[in-house]
Amino acid sequence: MYDAVIVGAGAAGLSAALGLLRSDHIRELKGQGLDPRILVISKLQPLRSHTGSAEGGIAASLGNIDHDDWHWHYYDTVKGGDWLVDQDAAALLAREAPATVIRLEHDGVAFSRTGDGHIAQRRFGGHTAEFGGEPVKRAAYAADRIGHQILHSLWQQCVAQGVQFAEEWYVTDLVLDESKSRAAGVVAYDTHSGAVHAVHARNVLIATGGAGRLFRTTSNSWDLTGDGMALALAAGLQLEDVEFVQFHPTGLAHTGILLSEAARAEGGVLRNADGEAFMARYAPGHADLAARDVVSRSIMAEVDAGRGVADPKDPDGPKDCVWLDMTGIDRDHMEAVLPQVVETIRDYANIDPATQYVPVKPTAHYTMGGVPITTDGEVYRWIQSGDDPADGRRDVVEGLYAAGECSCVSVHGANRLGGNSLLDACLFGTRAGEAIAARVADAPVAQVELEGGDPADDEYAPLVDAAAKAREDEAKTLLAGSTDNTDDTDDADATPDDNPYRLLADLGAAMERAVAVRCTAETIGTALATLRDELEPRADALRAHDGTPAFNQEITAIWEARHLVALAEAVLKASDSRTESRGSLRRLDFPQRDDKRFLAHSMIELCGEANPDESDASRHSVGWQPVHIVDYPPKARAY
Amino acid sequence: MSNENDMVSVTLRVHRFTPRAERERRHGSNPFARKSSPFGDSGARRRPRGKQWTQDYTLTVRPEDTVLDCLLTVKRTLDPTLAFRYSCGHGMCGSDAVAINGTPTLLCTAPVHAWIRNDGFRRTGEEGEPGETAADGGVIELSPLPGFPVQRDLIADIDPMLDQIRKLKPYLEAKGELRTTADGKVNVFEYLQSPAELAKYETLTNCIACGVCEGSCPVFAGGDAFIGPAALIAASRFVNDSRDGRTMDRLDAIDTEDGVAACQSVRACGRQCPRGIDVGEEMWQIIAKVRER
Repeated sequence: MYDAVIVGAGAAGLSAALGLLRSDHIRELKGQGLDPRILVISKLQPLRSHTGSAEGGIAASLGNIDHDDWHWHYYDTVKGGDWLVDQDAAALLAREAPATVIRLEHDGVAFSRTGDGHIAQRRFGGHTAEFGGEPVKRAAYAADRIGHQILHSLWQQCVAQGVQFAEEWYVTDLVLDESKSRAAGVVAYDTHSGAVHAVHARNVLIATGGAGRLFRTTSNSWDLTGDGMALALAAGLQLEDVEFVQFHPTGLAHTGILLSEAARAEGGVLRNADGEAFMARYAPGHADLAARDVVSRSIMAEVDAGRGVADPKDPDGPKDCVWLDMTGIDRDHMEAVLPQVVETIRDYANIDPATQYVPVKPTAHYTMGGVPITTDGEVYRWIQSGDDPADGRRDVVEGLYAAGECSCVSVHGANRLGGNSLLDACLFGTRAGEAIAARVADAPVAQVELEGGDPADDEYAPLVDAAAKAREDEAKTLLAGSTDNTDDTDDADATPDDNPYRLLADLGAAMERAVAVRCTAETIGTALATLRDELEPRADALRAHDGTPAFNQEITAIWEARHLVALAEAVLKASDSRTESRGSLRRLDFPQRDDKRFLAHSMIELCGEANPDESDASRHSVGWQPVHIVDYPPKARAY
Repeated sequence: MSNENDMVSVTLRVHRFTPRAERERRHGSNPFARKSSPFGDSGARRRPRGKQWTQDYTLTVRPEDTVLDCLLTVKRTLDPTLAFRYSCGHGMCGSDAVAINGTPTLLCTAPVHAWIRNDGFRRTGEEGEPGETAADGGVIELSPLPGFPVQRDLIADIDPMLDQIRKLKPYLEAKGELRTTADGKVNVFEYLQSPAELAKYETLTNCIACGVCEGSCPVFAGGDAFIGPAALIAASRFVNDSRDGRTMDRLDAIDTEDGVAACQSVRACGRQCPRGIDVGEEMWQIIAKVRER
């Protein structure tokens, strides 16, 4: 029995562990000789977490270079999110940002510095002074490695605190009580041995990151498979605003690896197949430096109009890229100010950007939606009592928390502002950890043991054990699939040479065709049919091709594929329900924002067992939760 | 550069290993007591026994594809059972250190054209004769990172390196020289650090703990008692950080037989560092600091 189990060891999970252990509650507890039982479970060694890939910066109105005010940051966040932002949460984010960055600095982050030794800050798209006025330098940075710095510093501080890690364990189940009102624990699969663990916990925090792998072209690592969101969905909880996925406009074609916005800031120009610098037509005045979602949409519009180009690496493939022309930038200057960009283009495309055009396409970058949480990280269910969404209430799931990209406190709304992702993960991770600390101190496991009781002897333990038993049986089935099993009649229609890696590629391609950057009811419908008729049956039929459990990567890949398939369906259904265009969601069939109907968060959940014979609509239900508007009433979002 | 569409045939020769299944024992014991569990005994790791063999996979790829791209294609189209760690795919996460043709490096930063070996093979591009490349083909040999126990196929157990890094208390313990606000609050400002002070350790913070330097070090990979270059880089990172207040303790901690004294100054450690850290030179510098104190 654990006081708390944290699932995921990126910026959010590690911040939560530190927030928990450094709290006054836990310090007091330790003073009484009671050690909290905390475990961090992660499917990767923590230093491999995707937080480490973040490059640009973390937003905070430190005012170290330009005069700044947290209210301006707050406004930019709301506007960037196209007014689908819960303003109480965004106000908290902006107000607490400076303290969050200072805490990271104290934890060891090697921030770049100003001449007088303060944390250096740089310009980011959408960061303005005076509520939408002049640009302001707000993004605190560490060269182009802020994520790496934060991840390593947080891990180092966790080492200092003696945090216990279960590394390369994959969480397969989130277990709640039958009324879905309290967390009971998780089931975890140890990839080293293939053993299934029933992990009983009084508090569970999910911090598993995003779901970029829903799409073939993504800046996300191979491990961003939406696990936490899928776990919540499978446990009968809701997901909020999952139809909003941010696409970064300039992924290096074919790889999806990010080419920083700085490439365009330094003079890079996007061109279509005709050589036209088309952004001037879509965003007069801003051209290539318009907001991310605007540029991504413009690129896709060019591609859809037949003016795209093929990736030179795949000349016979689809013409779904455009050119990034950096040949106008002086070679020496390019090397000096864009070293990472130049290196990436050379290493991964074998192109010299000083003389050749670079193929780029929008790349799936960030999932704005996720597991709904309060500003203290508590996971809740939105219960709508009548027909009016305004009558609803948030029912908190006791002992269940979430933080970071897998969660949705709704500070990003329909489109995340640059520099706010690390801030969200670190701040709300810490807050969730502190909230858990209060609950831990109330009834520590160590106290029960001290009094001679068995902490595992509670009414919820059998639920976790049962889930673990079921998962253990399933793992056996998956492993046994590798051998010639005569009584395995269920597998009769399985494609014998199918595997999860192939399935992931096919799912990514289908999602990309359907909803990357833009969609219509028709593209969504096509993708849903592909999911239902092809991908889901294939996911169900997957078996491992080798029977040795130790480090059998195919087992986790099968579960990841199933997670992504389940999540893909929720993303498609939520996209279908929102018949408007807002932020990152561009419905070609509903091009206007519709505040009358959709100034609300979508809350999607599974209803009942999926039945392939039933009509599509019966498998999910979508509710609506009004946006918290506090200070800034909605207006047009123009840059 | 004009020949980027020319394909090349490459044979990945992979040294594979499958640990022997120990199902009965596993099921008979308490799952929480096994060594892979964070609760179990972490010391005295046995070298796992099992089946070893070499397997060839032949693919037609672009010369600029990375070896990781090739292995992912193998997983997708030829053999989903091949095991290797990977995550970000662009040299930041440090997951995928292996030995390519015997040299430790990352799978995701290794382009095929740089590692393919065959007498008949010609590099594409500037060296000409591109027409010959596709037919000729070549071999790339892959084995797990040297110096660490193999767990399965290309997966090695790098916990010994992380344990050694952790042993040296790799976290900032600040001197506490903080500015105070007018009303006496101390924790609201950052520690001041000049760009010059930052420059003294900034490169060292780029370490991604991939283990390439360790696998390259003949002392470490040779099995001698040596805390290893990665742990020393981690220690040096804090020794050189002007904010840190434990410099003397840190230098003491590495001034041991299996600390800096075990470094033979071979300088193989820095040659393949994916983050461009001149590990050998940094070793030299930290040894000098230990001696000077």
